[in-house]
Amino acid sequence: MNLGFVVGVFGVLILSHAAYSTIQYRGLLKIMEEEFSRPPMNVIVELIIGLALCMWAALTFPGKFLSIHPDSDENRAVSLPDNSEFMIFNHRGRLFPPQIDMKF
Amino acid sequence: MVTKTEETELNQFEIQVENGGGGAWEYLCLVRKLKLRRSEKVLKHGSSILNDPRKRSALGPDEWTLNEQVAIAAMDCQCLDVAQKCIKVLQKKFPGSKRVGRLEALLLEAKGLWGEAEEAYSSLLEDNPLDQAIHKRRVAISKALGKPSIAIELLNKYLQLFMADHDAWKELAELYLSLQMYKQAAFCYEELILSQPIVPLYHLAYADVLYTIGGIENLISARKYYAATIDLTGGKNTRALLGICLCASAIAQLSKGRNKEDKDATAALELHSLAAAAVEKEYKQKVPAKLQLVSSVLRSLKI
Repeated sequence: MNLGFVVGVFGVLILSHAAYSTIQYRGLLKIMEEEFSRPPMNVIVELIIGLALCMWAALTFPGKFLSIHPDSDENRAVSLPDNSEFMIFNHRGRLFPPQIDMKF
Repeated sequence: MVTKTEETELNQFEIQVENGGGGAWEYLCLVRKLKLRRSEKVLKHGSSILNDPRKRSALGPDEWTLNEQVAIAAMDCQCLDVAQKCIKVLQKKFPGSKRVGRLEALLLEAKGLWGEAEEAYSSLLEDNPLDQAIHKRRVAISKALGKPSIAIELLNKYLQLFMADHDAWKELAELYLSLQMYKQAAFCYEELILSQPIVPLYHLAYADVLYTIGGIENLISARKYYAATIDLTGGKNTRALLGICLCASAIAQLSKGRNKEDKDATAALELHSLAAAAVEKEYKQKVPAKLQLVSSVLRSLKI
């Protein structure tokens, strides 16, 4: 988990560095009075690396994913709750009370 | 609705606690959360916690909820002196409380003094006429006295006020089924399906009721709801699969003379054979000894 966190921070830093270099590049182009069509190649490579690192960190950092299928083996409904608010006490079991002694 | 993970967890705790390992408090919390009725075990382990003054003080403020849980479990097992002691403890701690008043009336019910219990509930209702639990207990009293029609009347009045109460709709459906009033039971199940469409067990119960009422439109609807159950459970519900086979053969018998549904006859045949194959596969996996019996039954149901 820690590795995911570190990689995530690293990815965010790379992305912010790419943003800063793009802004600087635009400033440079303004001085040279040229059109700004797209950032230079090294910034694009940096962006792709930052994207890959951030995605990997986002998938590994939160831990185990929970299943969402209603019929998967963990989520399936096994039984409904037994309506204990309507429970009645004159069933056959009342003839066999267990032996419990209370000391308080 | 209890899921499979919760059930396995519950069983693990139960085995652990029965064999003398720790974890009684977690087991009791899980039973309380899932609202299950395991009165003997709750009584045994809850009273063992309450008898031990060290464990009792370790619980802190949860001690009173445990007292309530053990009191209700004791009433279910007919250990009325245990229940009386728990209620006395709670009365000392919370004098004049409505919740304790409800428990006392419940104890009167468990003793079989229906008249006094009814009076106690009416007096509690005067103070707070919108208390859901008290209305439900009055229904339970009529049910225990063997008067399901009065219980149905009270429950209908309750549901006019509190329409979103799933347990009450389920109880009403069961009461109607016990009186064989199938159309009204089907209405209750429709309400349940509308409010909780993801739970496959309601679809299954509705399909069963429709199949019982009979008649060709109901059988076609029942087949649709069995199919919906199979969809929601990923094909693992054997009862729905068998339901489809039975529906298909009943529909075929009823519509022998008429050729109404040509386009859905082919779909019905395919559904029937697929369901039969799935049932046989499951029996082969789980109970191979009974496979022959099942195959012969399914063959006799073939259209």
